[in-house]
Amino acid sequence: MGSLALEGVRVLDFTWVVAGPVATRILADNGAEVVKIERKVPPPLGDRKRGLQCDLHRNKLSLALNMGHPRGLEIALDLVRKSDIVIDNFSARVMRQWRMDYESLCRVKPDIICVSMSGFGHTGPRSNFVSYGPTLQALTGYTRLMTDIDGEPAGYGYSYSDMAGGFTGALAALAALWNRRRTGRGQFVDLSQLEAVAALIGPCLLDITVNGRVPEPPLYNSQEAPAAPHGVYRCRALDGDDDRWLAIAVRSEGEWNRFVETIGSPAWASEPKFRTLYLRMRNRTELDANITRWTSQRRAEDAMAALQKARVPAGVVSNGADICERDPQLKARGFWPAVARADGSLTRVSGVPFKLSGGSGSVRTIAPEVGENNDYVLGELLGMSPVKRAELVAAGVVWP
Amino acid sequence: MSEDAGALAGLRVLDLSTYRGHLAARLLADLGADVIKVEPPAGDIARRIGPFVDDRPHRDRSLFFWFYNLNKRSLTLDIENPRGRELFLDLARAADVVVESFAPGEMARMGLGWDELHRLNPALVMLSIAPFGQTGPYRDFEADDTVLTALSGMLYVNGYPGRQPVRPLGLQAYHSAAYYGAIAAMCALLARDRDAVGQWVDLSMQEATAAAVEHVAGSYFGQNFVEPRRGTLHWSRFFRVARCRDGYVMHCTLGDWTSLIEWVKSEGKAQDLADPRWEDIGYRAEHAEHLFDVLDEWVKDYECKELLERAQALRQPYAIVQGPEAMLEDEQLAARGFFVEVEHPELGRKFRYPGAPYLFNGTPWRVRRRPPLLGEHTGEILRDDLGLEPAEIAALYAQGIV
Repeated sequence: MGSLALEGVRVLDFTWVVAGPVATRILADNGAEVVKIERKVPPPLGDRKRGLQCDLHRNKLSLALNMGHPRGLEIALDLVRKSDIVIDNFSARVMRQWRMDYESLCRVKPDIICVSMSGFGHTGPRSNFVSYGPTLQALTGYTRLMTDIDGEPAGYGYSYSDMAGGFTGALAALAALWNRRRTGRGQFVDLSQLEAVAALIGPCLLDITVNGRVPEPPLYNSQEAPAAPHGVYRCRALDGDDDRWLAIAVRSEGEWNRFVETIGSPAWASEPKFRTLYLRMRNRTELDANITRWTSQRRAEDAMAALQKARVPAGVVSNGADICERDPQLKARGFWPAVARADGSLTRVSGVPFKLSGGSGSVRTIAPEVGENNDYVLGELLGMSPVKRAELVAAGVVWP
Repeated sequence: MSEDAGALAGLRVLDLSTYRGHLAARLLADLGADVIKVEPPAGDIARRIGPFVDDRPHRDRSLFFWFYNLNKRSLTLDIENPRGRELFLDLARAADVVVESFAPGEMARMGLGWDELHRLNPALVMLSIAPFGQTGPYRDFEADDTVLTALSGMLYVNGYPGRQPVRPLGLQAYHSAAYYGAIAAMCALLARDRDAVGQWVDLSMQEATAAAVEHVAGSYFGQNFVEPRRGTLHWSRFFRVARCRDGYVMHCTLGDWTSLIEWVKSEGKAQDLADPRWEDIGYRAEHAEHLFDVLDEWVKDYECKELLERAQALRQPYAIVQGPEAMLEDEQLAARGFFVEVEHPELGRKFRYPGAPYLFNGTPWRVRRRPPLLGEHTGEILRDDLGLEPAEIAALYAQGIV
């Protein structure tokens, strides 16, 4: 194993909730030193030493700094001088109020890179509006078009847009860094999470702008190359849990023939109405009912194994226990690394979804409590003596 | 290097991928990299996927291909032909990144594996995007986007309890993988500044998609809890969809509670929500079902627009649950110039594309070229980048290698 890709890069992280922390998690996993600037009373989002909060903030450092205090702002500026990238996900006005906006930071660190990941961007009539993942997903069409089979909106059960905003922010930071190494210049990246999630339904948007088509819910019609069967099929219960499904996609005649053979060449499969892809798509309700007769007799895992053995795309509709415990592939690739708490006990988090031949990103340290790294940040990075640090605590600039 | 050339100006990328990887290369192209889409002479398979302009199928009219290949150049090249392979290697010698999404082992079979490319150009970064990565028991398994959303946990948590899970809009397994792919390539390129050697990136689409699910693993490892489907109730329990007279809205109980409840009370619809215990955010989450049932009753006779105008005046973060077409009328997106006009001279028309999710003040994102026609840049690449003579180029065309 070599060194981590982003070793030597320092990130000052003002982000919170999810989207911003996802961006800085990616940078931290790959070796950047990420220093979180936090309020003493963190938002009540949960335990830092396990679960989601641990997952979001692992590999990062935390300084509990009072940004409402003039000396707190001075310390933040001292840290900017020693950083490469400053990231926030506030609405446009917050960093400006602290005079931590790009123009102000340029005065203390001319080549600083600032990435601001606000909900709506820094310009435009809604730049100061607060946004949340579900709101953005409602505005961009996901909630409306991800419907149940009866047409009722369902949407995501979570904030996909926070994740999308997060990886968009990480990419922007890295591109700006690459550019700075070549030009010597930093810059300001004004990211709109609304736009980040809107951009991810591109072909659908082009169909609207070019063909004037108002999109229909896609349900399980393939959104790529045409396929039938294509959908999720109910399977046999597993340990009393009957919420078991298998996703199947049959895209070619070859896959169809292997599919039919795998399910035992039932008589219905040779009926003329299922002979071509076009006919299978037209008669999909009946096709799906026939297939469910086969899947419902089998455990999703077994049906998947049989179909994959015949090189037919199929996968268990995996729940938390499936992905975190049962999936042999994620396990084999070490996707759920363990990380140690101070008392030596272990907890698991999600891993890094890509491996680099010269040194992959990794999970090295557990998420810090708010202020856990005050001494390191103030002492080692800013060279403050213990006496000076105690003074700052006494003055309410830094929270212990 | 000129300021408006893009943050990644000077970077050369060869895109051998199918639509599993197209977006990764496009993200780099959008940021200023010179991306050459290397297509088989018959054209990339994405050119055969709809929708098409005016619903007329044609290899140069696929909106699916257009979206994923904006800002790239197109070279047709038969890399399975020995001479075609040689030409590809010549290009790889001067490239920074190769993006590929073949089945694991396929590049090596064609004599284009990591070992070969690394020997040829030690500074090259190779980004391999595969459904399950380059190792492990599922390495050779088949998957489309839907199967990947299933196996990553992205699918199971959407929809109503006891009913069929609801699939994402758009190919979000591919998109998550593409973003992580572009990020991984940038990490390798930044490491190259230090190490002077390139790296092989092994990206698993299953893992990238799992990393695009917010809460499932956290709940499992943190609370030993298997996240279920909850209809439209967001897992945080602060959001749920409600039906109005003419459509749907998204409730949000994270805004200022006092102003929200005063409003509801003024219409005589607050029921027990006026009780002070609802001021506690934790209590609201805990009793979300009842809370939203009362609020549903309150909004049901509203028109969406009317409700939203009043909500915005009170700074309540409500939203209309609308189709994507509504974004074309969105004044915020318009003010930021999100939709950009792209000229297609071959059709004599201009089309509006969704644009950049980020504005770089020093190196603006912009559309440098519309998506390429099949083989549009073959001639110029053979001549300018590979230095071939006109006679050689003619021979390559005649033999069907380009």
